[in-house]
Amino acid sequence: MKLLAKLRSEEVSSPSAPGVHPKPFWSFRPRSDREAGDAVVSNFLLHWFPAKTYKPSLDWSYSLWLGTASAALLFLLTLSGLPLLLLYIPSVERAYGSVKDIEYVVTFGKWIRAVHRISAHLMVAVVFLHLVRIFLTGAYKNGSGRGQKREWNWVIGVVMLLLTLFLSFTGYLLPWDQLAYWAVTVGTNIASSIPLVGPTVRELLLGGRTIDQSTLLRFYVLHCILLPAALGVLFAYHMWRVRKDGGLAKADRQALLAEARETGVAPTKTYTLLGVARGTAPTIRAASLEAPDLTVNAVNDLVRRIAIVVLGTIAIVGMLAVFVPSPLEEPANALVTPNPAKAPWYFLWLQEIVTITTVKIGKFTINGAFLGGVILPGILVTLLTLWPWLDRSAAAGAGVWFAGDRKRQNAVFLAICLFILVLTVVGTFMRGPYWHFYWPWQAWPEIPSRI
Amino acid sequence: MEKRTDSPYPKLDRPVLAAVGLLLIVSTILFAWSDRRHDWRWYQSEFRKMVAEKYGAEKAKPIPSGTQQIWVKDLGNADRCITCHQGILWKGFEKADHPFRTHPPEPLKAHPVEKYGCTSCHGGQGYSIDMETAHGPMPHWEEPLLGQQLGTEYSIVDDKSALMQMNCNVCHRYDRETKGADFINNAKKLVAAKGCRACHVINGRGGTIGPDLTWEGEKAAEQFDMSRLSGQRTAFAWHVAHLKEPKALAPDTVMPNFNFGTKDAQSLAMLVMSWRRAPAPVEFRPGVARTDPQTPEEIAEEQRMKTGPGAWFVKTGCFICHNISSLGVKSPAQIGPDLSMAVEDVQSRFGRTLDDFLQSPTGTMSVVLSRQIVLTPEEKLVAIQKVREAYAEYQKQKTAATKTSAAH
Amino acid sequence: MTDEKDAGGRREFLYKLGFGAGVAALVGQTGASLRSLVPNVSYDAPTTVKIGPPQEFPDGLKFLPEERLFIFRDGKTFHAVSAVCTHLGCTVRAEALARPEERSVNGVPLRMTHRFLCPCHGSKYDGEGTNVAGPAPRALAWYHLSLAPDDGQLVVDLAREVPHDFRMTLA
Repeated sequence: MKLLAKLRSEEVSSPSAPGVHPKPFWSFRPRSDREAGDAVVSNFLLHWFPAKTYKPSLDWSYSLWLGTASAALLFLLTLSGLPLLLLYIPSVERAYGSVKDIEYVVTFGKWIRAVHRISAHLMVAVVFLHLVRIFLTGAYKNGSGRGQKREWNWVIGVVMLLLTLFLSFTGYLLPWDQLAYWAVTVGTNIASSIPLVGPTVRELLLGGRTIDQSTLLRFYVLHCILLPAALGVLFAYHMWRVRKDGGLAKADRQALLAEARETGVAPTKTYTLLGVARGTAPTIRAASLEAPDLTVNAVNDLVRRIAIVVLGTIAIVGMLAVFVPSPLEEPANALVTPNPAKAPWYFLWLQEIVTITTVKIGKFTINGAFLGGVILPGILVTLLTLWPWLDRSAAAGAGVWFAGDRKRQNAVFLAICLFILVLTVVGTFMRGPYWHFYWPWQAWPEIPSRI
Repeated sequence: MEKRTDSPYPKLDRPVLAAVGLLLIVSTILFAWSDRRHDWRWYQSEFRKMVAEKYGAEKAKPIPSGTQQIWVKDLGNADRCITCHQGILWKGFEKADHPFRTHPPEPLKAHPVEKYGCTSCHGGQGYSIDMETAHGPMPHWEEPLLGQQLGTEYSIVDDKSALMQMNCNVCHRYDRETKGADFINNAKKLVAAKGCRACHVINGRGGTIGPDLTWEGEKAAEQFDMSRLSGQRTAFAWHVAHLKEPKALAPDTVMPNFNFGTKDAQSLAMLVMSWRRAPAPVEFRPGVARTDPQTPEEIAEEQRMKTGPGAWFVKTGCFICHNISSLGVKSPAQIGPDLSMAVEDVQSRFGRTLDDFLQSPTGTMSVVLSRQIVLTPEEKLVAIQKVREAYAEYQKQKTAATKTSAAH
Repeated sequence: MTDEKDAGGRREFLYKLGFGAGVAALVGQTGASLRSLVPNVSYDAPTTVKIGPPQEFPDGLKFLPEERLFIFRDGKTFHAVSAVCTHLGCTVRAEALARPEERSVNGVPLRMTHRFLCPCHGSKYDGEGTNVAGPAPRALAWYHLSLAPDDGQLVVDLAREVPHDFRMTLA
């Protein structure tokens, strides 16, 4: 108690002379704007943050904090992946047994695996929703700042979505059960339907023509090393870009408004990834300095909200992991295809399309896998990537939900999302044995068992 | 005082953050509970109490606690059954309730737990440490516990725990009769009596009118047409129904109705379901040849040597090194001299009589007779006599041979 | 006024408590998860191993690489000496002596036909397993031998060390 009192008195009596840092360590409870700024400067993690944040970018209803939630999930995945990395044995003979061990006899193993799996599924969903949010608010559009490259950050975001999907997909094979084996069979055969290079791509992915030890090892290395590393690097760059582009797009509008109030010429400064930029490097107007009534200190208003989202996500996943068991089917068996054999849920809309797009024109048959599994998603991803350049709406639409002159593109985008969503729901819940359609209230025929 | 920008956020956000803190506490409590809820902890403490009550606290002390496992590397079985079934090797709990009951000792003599584990006979999911998932039936685990409960569900006649015999026969499939496996023995008799091999190949032998049944137990349940089957939709139920009335399940079949009773149909269904590719190594499976088989001539030759005039030399082990040509004993190694003429031979080699040499041998024979073939004094006398008999026979044959050659 | 201030202070304290306890719980949860790395079940080879019928062992020495064990036979008596160097666990090699030695260990005669050399750091042991040169701190372990009651095979208990006068004698 005494020590605490002493600390407190020191805080109060600390010198406040200009240029002298009152404390050697940063504070989460800054008592002045300078202390708040010091916190950002002297804390390595907070370097991603500006010293001051526009109030509107803290809104719950604007960003929905989906990006932060997906980062929290990525963090959870990394953390829960570490013990799994030590407990799981990537060998065809022992993988299944080691997952059974994690499920049954490792202390907290079941929970750790559930956290990893639930976070992975949630991350696919949250990252996708994040992309939807960015599209609907036109947040890939450049606003008032000079040197903004929001369109490139959008492209990086699309790549990160694909990486997230691929990470999840590679993790699917590792338990080496029926679910894993046949999901990967279906998934990689879609890849092999690409004309000319398809079979080579599949063979490279599998390390042979059948799913075997070499496939397991390839997926393992992709899942544990290459893809997380790539995602980590892109994540860091993504965040840095957000900062370089002047924060959230909505803040841009506020800056515009502030400018309209004639607050004088704003001083400019900038950094590149590796040092101070000169000449043509992008610059942002530090308009926030002149609009104190529109901003708050990042420490700790921004930090607190981030803590709410990150810790909240962790708490929810932690609780779900207790109650939602992770499936583990029979050991992988190349002789028996389960009925129905389904891809992971986020690919089920593709599997749905794949089943209906095999077309016969005269003597030619176009495999549905190629049309539905390669061409269609290929077009969608290309369109998605190029969209910032195709979108010719006014800059004022950046950072606004359902901006007036983006009505039509938003409608088309939502229609496509809805289409994907419906197909996913149908594929997940309404496809039974032999891919027959069943309403949710219709019982599937009983799958026979051995004894 | 330095400037401090006012912020409207703490007022709302701090209570929210505190609420998130509460959520984290709830999550941690759930997390701790999820690990503690397993029943085995209770079973272990109960068993400890039972042993302490019956045999005293001292005896209860070394009972292991925590998850236990029998790891049978040869079979790839990691069976954790003994985590709850701690009493299987204890005496005195024969009448106790499961999971504390003593295992009947008889089957364990030939099948020690550490070599076979539990699930290779009983079925069930050895990985699991919770009853529901260990005993089954559960989705995605095809081997439920083959116990009384399942037997009752299938209304097995006479013996509700007979389903386990399916697993006996995975290893014992080449036995004519297996002790304790009445249903399987009955089924094997029926296979012979009803002439199943007339139409079906079984173990590589039989007709081709019906399908090959050698690995019938491996067939996936989905490969059976269950559309006309009522009741349980399992491969076992299909077999029972099909054996009773083949045309009811497969109208186009040519398989005759043998009017099997329920027990016979169940026996045969168990038998065909047991015809699986056993992952067990050869030493687990009686009747599976471990060496290259002998030809009939070789077998006859061995029999002749064992029962012929040279039988004593074979039994004692002399023939490993020595031929005894006059008595028709042929050595597999042939590294020592022929014993037929040992009487002369010993004299010329060592300058001693046979009797003397055998009483106190020198060289290789001293090692052999002191270590590998240890003979009592009486046996030595027999040996001398036998060698003399062989020599007598040798001389007889020699004279006969000279006579024949002279006659020519 | 003071009431209001007190209420504010109480609320303040509750917020801190809620957040602080939550973070503490999370740290505890993360720490407890590390328990997952402590194995609960063992996949190690059993310590009691059947090594074969006694008549299959030749007189003198037989090396069992899997158990890392030397089995010595002298007529009807057997003893087992570990091949694990007491220095850093390499497998020592047996070297036949030009002339076997006789020695009495605690009154029990021992015929020593070999000595043991460690390939890793040059430790030397005599035929009894006593360390005589090199960095080895202790003599090689001797293990308990018995006959299996069911099939009469030799059984070695690798968890049970015995003094050097231990012998298993066939009836």
